[in-house]
Amino acid sequence: MTDTAFEAAGLGKRFGRRGGWALRDCALRLPAGRVCALVGPNGAGKSTLLALAAGLLAPTEGRVTVLGTAPAAARARVGYVAQDKPLHPQLTIADTLRMGAGLNPGHWDADTAERVVAAGDLDPKAKVRSLSGGQRTRVALALALGKRPGLLLLDEPMADLDPLARHDLMGTLMAQAAQYGTTIVMSSHVVAELEDSCDHLLLLGGGRVRLAGEIDDLLAAHARVAVPAGTDLAPHTVVESRTTGRQLTALLRPASPLPSDWRATTPSLEELVLSHLRNPDALALTPAHEEAAA
Amino acid sequence: MSAVPLPAPAAARPRLAPWLLRLHRPALYVWTALVLLTAAALLWLGGPLTDAAASAWDQYGACDWSAHCSYDQPAILRYKDVANYTTLAVTAVPFLVAAWAGAALFGREMESGTAQLTWTQGVTPTRWLTTRLALPAALITTGTSLLVLLHHLAWTAGEGRIDTAKPWYDTLTLHANGPTTVALALTGLAAGALAGLTLRRTLPALCVSLLAVACTRGLADLAMPHLWPAVTRVTDLRQDPAGTGLTVDQGLVTATGRHIADPGCGSTLAPECRALYERLDATAFYTDYHPASHYWPLQLTTTLALLTLTALLTTIGYVTLRRTTGGRRRGAAV
Repeated sequence: MTDTAFEAAGLGKRFGRRGGWALRDCALRLPAGRVCALVGPNGAGKSTLLALAAGLLAPTEGRVTVLGTAPAAARARVGYVAQDKPLHPQLTIADTLRMGAGLNPGHWDADTAERVVAAGDLDPKAKVRSLSGGQRTRVALALALGKRPGLLLLDEPMADLDPLARHDLMGTLMAQAAQYGTTIVMSSHVVAELEDSCDHLLLLGGGRVRLAGEIDDLLAAHARVAVPAGTDLAPHTVVESRTTGRQLTALLRPASPLPSDWRATTPSLEELVLSHLRNPDALALTPAHEEAAA
Repeated sequence: MSAVPLPAPAAARPRLAPWLLRLHRPALYVWTALVLLTAAALLWLGGPLTDAAASAWDQYGACDWSAHCSYDQPAILRYKDVANYTTLAVTAVPFLVAAWAGAALFGREMESGTAQLTWTQGVTPTRWLTTRLALPAALITTGTSLLVLLHHLAWTAGEGRIDTAKPWYDTLTLHANGPTTVALALTGLAAGALAGLTLRRTLPALCVSLLAVACTRGLADLAMPHLWPAVTRVTDLRQDPAGTGLTVDQGLVTATGRHIADPGCGSTLAPECRALYERLDATAFYTDYHPASHYWPLQLTTTLALLTLTALLTTIGYVTLRRTTGGRRRGAAV
């Protein structure tokens, strides 16, 4: 068994021979058992990365490994819920789950699947086409959790849920992750949505990895400082800086301990993400870059 | 065979076929109804309707026209109607198959993402495609073969007995009577699959697969007479050009033996035609055609050509799917 759930190196995906790159030079490594937030603005390549990991798309260049093997070989152990929660509208919920059992012989956990559906007060005899967006999400999630995946890939899972259902489903997911050690990667363009439940962050911007690592480590590696205007910020890596009047505020990646007279605070995750997205030229911080620097 | 036991027992293979039937149950019902109704109509046509129309034609033939003549005209008209409608129904089968395969079986599933849902449920895209081609292909082959067989029997029952029955080389009857229709239906399935997999949208896939079958049918009509050597018959200029069957070419033979175009004047009984042929130095009419004995060679060569096209489209479908989804190479265990 490998301790890496999801790994990519030099990963790139271009749609069509002349199309733009949806993803380029993507290097990442996600240890098993983590709950990873995949964050980035619309069109950053989040869905492409998840589809590559789920074995629905072939990379144009580079390679992607899930659970120690190629995505095509890991289908039985990877759960995936696409952004628009595709389900067969003509089937009932019960039929949908029976289909999950039929397509995953030998590794279908009917109890888990039924529990996820039952928690939403859904009638198993209801047709999928009669469900609301949130109810569909719940059934799609039940289908993905029923196969008891080692890696669960969720593309914008909470987008069409009300806050209560969101809280509820997140609880279900976290319980699953804790009970079976499932690695979860979920994408969103709303950072706050994932902050409480995730311990790992993967920030995509413009088809590239901007930040990758444990959230705590990433926060600890950055500092928000307020210093007099004109202060030389070298040798620290400046992600973003702004001068207002006589004060310069900046988000830094300190190269060494900061001078004690600088007013430094730990940034919030949202600040960290927004600073990196606003400044696409700032040096990315990913394990690959750390290794290269070491 | 390898001595190493396979890790996955046969019982642990995902059961795709029952779910395919469940998901496309309405289509299965429609197909069954279509086959049964058309088959019933063909049996009716080949039996009672043919007998009634044949005896009506006998009555008609016995008329001396000097006095009032009575014959069962409605029987003749009923035969003609049912024959036309059933031939059209059998002809339409490949088009219906293509439309369904392009739109419902592949296009819609690719568009809505339910195909991708299956691929993330422990089923490889290759196996998904194989099930989706093999099961419908079996049902389509069975149903269409039955219809074509009954059509052939019904047509044979009326052969030579009914004056208005279509000749064997009538383009619709020719195909509806033989395996080319079955092959074209399979081409429709393969074209629908390829259109759905590449276009990934319902309506475009529907249009493209219909267009593909229409073009294939047109090309098959054009190519068929050339897929088997034709017979040439030369007739005297005093008669009309002769040779009843599937005509390939027709014209005039000159004194040097060259084949030239027929100006369409007719026999030399008309003096102006005689003058025209003398000017052209024509000595006889020629007709390149297929007599009725060429029916099976023509059917089988055309069927083979259509099946080759089907195999080609299917292969492209597999390659496309494997390239999009990054499945494992051919030969690897799936």
